[in-house]
Amino acid sequence: MKALNELSIAEARERLDQGAVSSVALTEACLGQIQSLDGALHAFLEVWPDEALQEAKRSDERRSRGLRLGEFDGIPLAVKDNMLVQGRHCSAGSKILENYVATNDATVVAKLKTQGAVFLGRTNMDEFAMGSSTENSAYGPTKHPRDPARVPGGSSGGSAVAVAANMCLGALGSDTGGSIRQPASLCGIVGLKPTYGRVSRSGLIAMASSFDQIGPLAKSVEDAARLFEAIQGADVLDQTTANVEAFQASGAVVRRQGLEGVRVGMPRQAWGKGMTDEVRTRVRAAVDVLTSLGAEVVDVDLPYADEALAVYYVLMPCEVSANLARFDGMRYGVRAQASTLLETYLQSRASGLGREVRRRILLGTYALSRGYYDAYYRQAKRVQTLIQNAYASAFEHVDVLVSPTSPSTAFKLGEKTSDPLAMYLEDLFTVGANVAGLPAVSVPCGDASGLPVGLHLTGRMFDEATLLGVARAYEGARG
Amino acid sequence: MPLTREDVAALAHLARIGLSDDEIARAEKELENVLKYVDRLQKVDTSGVEEAAPPAVAAASFREDAVIACDEVGRQTILSNFPARQIDLLKAPAVFDAPKK
Repeated sequence: MKALNELSIAEARERLDQGAVSSVALTEACLGQIQSLDGALHAFLEVWPDEALQEAKRSDERRSRGLRLGEFDGIPLAVKDNMLVQGRHCSAGSKILENYVATNDATVVAKLKTQGAVFLGRTNMDEFAMGSSTENSAYGPTKHPRDPARVPGGSSGGSAVAVAANMCLGALGSDTGGSIRQPASLCGIVGLKPTYGRVSRSGLIAMASSFDQIGPLAKSVEDAARLFEAIQGADVLDQTTANVEAFQASGAVVRRQGLEGVRVGMPRQAWGKGMTDEVRTRVRAAVDVLTSLGAEVVDVDLPYADEALAVYYVLMPCEVSANLARFDGMRYGVRAQASTLLETYLQSRASGLGREVRRRILLGTYALSRGYYDAYYRQAKRVQTLIQNAYASAFEHVDVLVSPTSPSTAFKLGEKTSDPLAMYLEDLFTVGANVAGLPAVSVPCGDASGLPVGLHLTGRMFDEATLLGVARAYEGARG
Repeated sequence: MPLTREDVAALAHLARIGLSDDEIARAEKELENVLKYVDRLQKVDTSGVEEAAPPAVAAASFREDAVIACDEVGRQTILSNFPARQIDLLKAPAVFDAPKK
């Protein structure tokens, strides 16, 4: 029998509703797991045991009176350190926000609190979500749960490890170029980046606002669907959120079996070079499973797929340079002591921001500066249009697109830290969905040399129902 | 487009990041590599192509342009986040090095 912390959200919900388990017991099991493993793995930057247990107790009291706030009442979750939880430290993995205390809840946090969720703590991440290994955290790296000499991926590496190592039942992450899906892939769990505009980013510390999206990291497709259902929705505090029909984690999605009538596209451009042989073998086998479920698998053309990463590495730093201008040590955060205002700025930002963050700010400042703006920013925005059009054309013929999530399995700590470009290539298969604003999910598709491989599925705008249905059917068939 | 060390120093100053000479030299090399990679975009023919617009989806309704007071807990948290303060005022270094006589 599974230990309580190993339960999925759906399993825990059922047992809570039956009165077979208490929220306190679930929370204690997760806290116990954190205590035994987190010294080695460092998934959490801070754990809130007392508050979590209090919240769990309140949930149990409600249940004893026959009350339930929502689907997440009593469910212990973890949250990435770039989402605000009122009264709690929130550092985005950066030294400059070491002492920052959140003044309000992020919309996603407020939504889950309204449903009675229990928050266990905040999870480690690459500084300001910039990285693919969680090695860029100012507070030290997170380690892979199966091999502590390896990285868990990033930037939501702490959340991925917290879920994979059963320190929580589910977690929230954020995804700007692959930061939910790539760590989910490397750690062998499910990670969903919803359609741009589905989930409010109010209270998410912004990295690149035209790409950032919050989503779930979970043990199953059903759990991911339930978490996504809970956090979605238009929000007056985030003008990019869309008024669209709400996603429902219905049985048609989370218990889908057959894939008759579903057309699956394999983009020729994504299946060329750029992945290891063992990843290719695993993901090809997953595609065969989709075929055996009744899906029609076809080759599709996805032009400019190779350019998506380059577009991203122009536009994202531009937005970073603007978004991170606010971290100047004036109104909050760490302020260096210097004799003049200018020196205070220079020193606060030099000592408070890490290397990768500084690098991207410089890159963005360059691409936006006079004389280069047309060549970089404007040209990248035009190629972005071509990429969006290419996806739209592909989706005239197919319902989902498949590729690997990551070019390789979890790599060694330090392996890519000295070569920024090698680290950037981790986003090769995931970044297209961000550039085009599409929903995409990573689902575990077996191991290669003992390390997890992820199957990456991309769907139509706001069609998470089809996307997650396909993911669930695959998950069920693979067993 | 080649990037010189002076360019990097100027960028760092514009971005208000104080970098040592060593850090500037290292940043120059790293930025060069990334710029070389993204230069592939220059080869794409984009004549007649519009710049990507924000997703064409009905955005959430606009909210009233009204002052919403924050609660006392929020107010105290904002104040306690000030790196330097005098009573309830934020203290910041002077904009001018020396006041004009």
